[in-house]
Amino acid sequence: MSPATPPERPSPDPQRFEVSRGTLLLDRAMTQLIRVGGLAVILAVFGIFLFIVKEIIPLFSAAEVEAEEVVRTPGGAPAVLGVDEWGTKPFLYRGGDEVVVVDIRDGAREVLPVPSLEGVEVTAVSYDPVHRRVAVGLADGRVGSFRVNYQTEFDDAGGRRIVAAVEAEPWFEVGVGEGPVKALGYGDGGAERILVAARGNGLAALRLGQKRALIGKPKLTLTGTSDLSGQVSAEVATTVASQNGKAALVATADGKVSYFLVEGGELVLKQVFAPFGDQPPVRMDYLFGGVSVAMTGASGDQKVYSLFRPEGSSERLFGETKEFAGLGEGRPFFAQSLRNKSFLTGAGRQLSVRHLTSGATRWEGELEFEPVAATFDGKTEHFFIAGPQGEVQRFEFDDPHPEAGWRAFFGKVWYEGGSEPVYQWQSTGGSDDFEPKLSLVPLIIGSLKGTFYALLFSVPVALLAAVFSAAFLPHDMKRVVKPAMEIMASLPSVVLGFLAGIWLAPIIEDKVPSILLVCLSLPLSALIFGVVWSRQPRQVRARFEGGREWIVLLPVVLLVSWAAWSLGPVLEKVAFVYRDEASGRAIADFRLWWPQATGLSFDQRNSLVVGFMMGFAVIPVIFTIAEDALSNVPKTLTAAASALGASRWQVVRSIIIPVASPGIFSALMIGFGRAVGETMIVVMATGNTPVTEWNIFSGMRTLSANIAVELPEAAPGSTHYRTLFLGALVLFLLTFFLNSVAEVMRQRLREKNKLV
Amino acid sequence: MTREDFIAVDRFSFFYGEKQALHDIDMRIPERRVTALIGPSGCGKSTLLRNMNRMNDLIDGVRHRGDIRLNGQSLYDPKVEVISLRKRVGMVFQKYNPFAKTVYENVVFSLRVAGRNRKRELDEVVERSLRSAALWEEVKDRLHDSAFGLSGGQQQRLCIARAIANQPEILLMDEPCAALDPTATLKIESLIRELKEQFTIVIVTHNMEQATRCSDRTAFLYMGRLIEYGDTKQVFENPREDETEAYISGKFS
Repeated sequence: MSPATPPERPSPDPQRFEVSRGTLLLDRAMTQLIRVGGLAVILAVFGIFLFIVKEIIPLFSAAEVEAEEVVRTPGGAPAVLGVDEWGTKPFLYRGGDEVVVVDIRDGAREVLPVPSLEGVEVTAVSYDPVHRRVAVGLADGRVGSFRVNYQTEFDDAGGRRIVAAVEAEPWFEVGVGEGPVKALGYGDGGAERILVAARGNGLAALRLGQKRALIGKPKLTLTGTSDLSGQVSAEVATTVASQNGKAALVATADGKVSYFLVEGGELVLKQVFAPFGDQPPVRMDYLFGGVSVAMTGASGDQKVYSLFRPEGSSERLFGETKEFAGLGEGRPFFAQSLRNKSFLTGAGRQLSVRHLTSGATRWEGELEFEPVAATFDGKTEHFFIAGPQGEVQRFEFDDPHPEAGWRAFFGKVWYEGGSEPVYQWQSTGGSDDFEPKLSLVPLIIGSLKGTFYALLFSVPVALLAAVFSAAFLPHDMKRVVKPAMEIMASLPSVVLGFLAGIWLAPIIEDKVPSILLVCLSLPLSALIFGVVWSRQPRQVRARFEGGREWIVLLPVVLLVSWAAWSLGPVLEKVAFVYRDEASGRAIADFRLWWPQATGLSFDQRNSLVVGFMMGFAVIPVIFTIAEDALSNVPKTLTAAASALGASRWQVVRSIIIPVASPGIFSALMIGFGRAVGETMIVVMATGNTPVTEWNIFSGMRTLSANIAVELPEAAPGSTHYRTLFLGALVLFLLTFFLNSVAEVMRQRLREKNKLV
Repeated sequence: MTREDFIAVDRFSFFYGEKQALHDIDMRIPERRVTALIGPSGCGKSTLLRNMNRMNDLIDGVRHRGDIRLNGQSLYDPKVEVISLRKRVGMVFQKYNPFAKTVYENVVFSLRVAGRNRKRELDEVVERSLRSAALWEEVKDRLHDSAFGLSGGQQQRLCIARAIANQPEILLMDEPCAALDPTATLKIESLIRELKEQFTIVIVTHNMEQATRCSDRTAFLYMGRLIEYGDTKQVFENPREDETEAYISGKFS
């Protein structure tokens, strides 16, 4: 017998230790894909950030100015320098009977005679760049004016040619005072105009009216002369008339400035003030809009006076709103922009472009010659300087965002017409000379306010619910509650906002006392119930053990809430009674009582509504994450604590909450992020008024809602557009900063409660 | 004088939902002795142990039949608070589970939750409990450091100190050495032998040697039934039942 051969074993597959190429390939491909995906996310975030920053940077850059060649014209220093709208053909008027028009590109000169000035002696000149009107006063006591008009002509080749022409206007006699006219101001308000002239010791205001003639041009006639000689205290130094033709400012040698206003067909002295003590201003120039006057003192000091209603006054009077840096030595010159609140000023060879509202100096430079006159073109794209030897120099001027800057965005700004510096957001307005108010402070406050009220409502509800669900509720109930809360999170915020604005706001508008009572009595009744329940014999309590106590609590809470809701009107009658000053009647209405008692406003769409609805959106976010964190506390720890005789609440307080605190903290931060960035609910449920107050019964405008509302209307590249991007960056930085702080704190908490 | 029926389990059955985990267990556990519960995985020994302080109440869908009495007091007396019951029973778990607190706060936890906060009393309790758990010398200088800084064996002894701080009558130990190395295990075992002077100890173990080394009585459970219960020496050297013999000789586990 042959020895038993071992049973035939199949030889093992030699390839059994190899890894298939497909597996390796897939592994490598997935690794690369994940890497690319991760990098793409980082790049996308950086890309967005860079894009935003790119849009914002121009807001903070200064004006750019480029000097061009000096063009020399024969003759002396001009009294007036003006220019056409496109900045191509400046004109010079030297006080004679001709106007010299210069083509700035080739230096070609054209002399335009002013026939009405032939043979007269001009003793005073003033210039109004808005109408391009030169007003002149004569040695014989007459005053008059002429305008330089530019017309565009197109030749057959399609080329554009600008042709200047002089338009004469009528003469008027100044019947007051003796001798030559030494100062005058012309204010053109269209149908109503004013011409102020000083002659010897006399001062007169000529009111001119434009009557529409049936045929031909409307005719300018004198409608009345006011003798103001007795109303000024000293010799007139300089005078200026307002661009609406209704007011005049007269500076006298004793340093006083008198403000006259047309009222009932007469000029009435409204105010006398002294901007530079006993020294009269050398120059008074109205700024674009006709509300502010730049005063330049003999020593180069520059102050801006604006019309506003001081507190307790019913009239608009002048008050100092801005003070600029001194101009230095030399004869001051001035030119206003016809587009915005910028102005060009300087003395000696120093030149600076300043902005009225922000009080900032946009650009500074030095000239080759001492300027005698300056002007901006119609679009504020160029400015011109004229020198004592008849030099004319054009400067290219590029300042797209003169009103921007740190101060404008984050500081209190004294806007024209306002009675004090304020934080204000009002980006668009109805009139041409409207000035955008771009303070981000009301929006930041609005964002924080909305978030605060939303969290005030949602954090206690969400956290208590999470604790209840994680540590008290039986598992079968929890299986229903948690998905229900998650469904709540999936409600589109536009639906919530719609509900809040259209449905909830009108409902709770007149139920504030009821809501107050419910908010107070609900937690109170739960606490009282807890005390009462714990005093019950064990046999009674045993029936609702293990987290089923809510079955008993629920009817109690519902009953108390119903009672509190119904008692609201009673409370209103007792505590919130409004007394009407006029009729002496007492009305029980919280809506009226609140403004009377606190001085704050009451809006239908207020922070309470937003807080409630946004809270509704935030609750599921906080609840879900906090609940997970609380549920994930190791059972070994809770069991150990229970075994040591801790009650359910003691287990929660001393074990579960500390261990879950990093997770709870994340939940709060994510809830905060959700509330800060929430847009649609705020847009729809508030009035979107950018207020800077924390009143719960007023609305707000948040940074995000502001972007949503205004970005579609903002012209790309405009200051408004870029400011909205700045708002986005602020929002980004706000959440970034808070999240970073939160992350550090979370790590610390985690370190402290670290598990083995 | 020790009571023979310090813990009396009376025809006790226990159900997880529909599944019956314990079948009519009937046993008497004597005072100040170490009683070991042994048996293969899933035999119900841990369930029985955890019922002795009603820890199984924390699980949903459980019910029971029969009764367990601690020193004559029924666990299921409707007039008795579960919380106060648990204070009579200390428990040590399989995996050491100190709280994320200092050594000191871990030990005094049971006193704190009972509202006892007097510093002197707490200091005394900490020293006494840690000495009883043979840990005092090792941690007396780091009482206010985190408990997580201790070694595994030290953490388990800290858990024992924590369990006995409130001076319970009974100490339940659910495989207290399962997560420890042999040296630490020996330390815990000698500690158990010392602690039985003060406490009635019930210990669940998978380790036969451990049962023989430190227990006075041994109960063998199999498939939710109490198969054999007697003096440790007798159960291991001269088992009456075949299943017991098969188990202790390693036929099944």
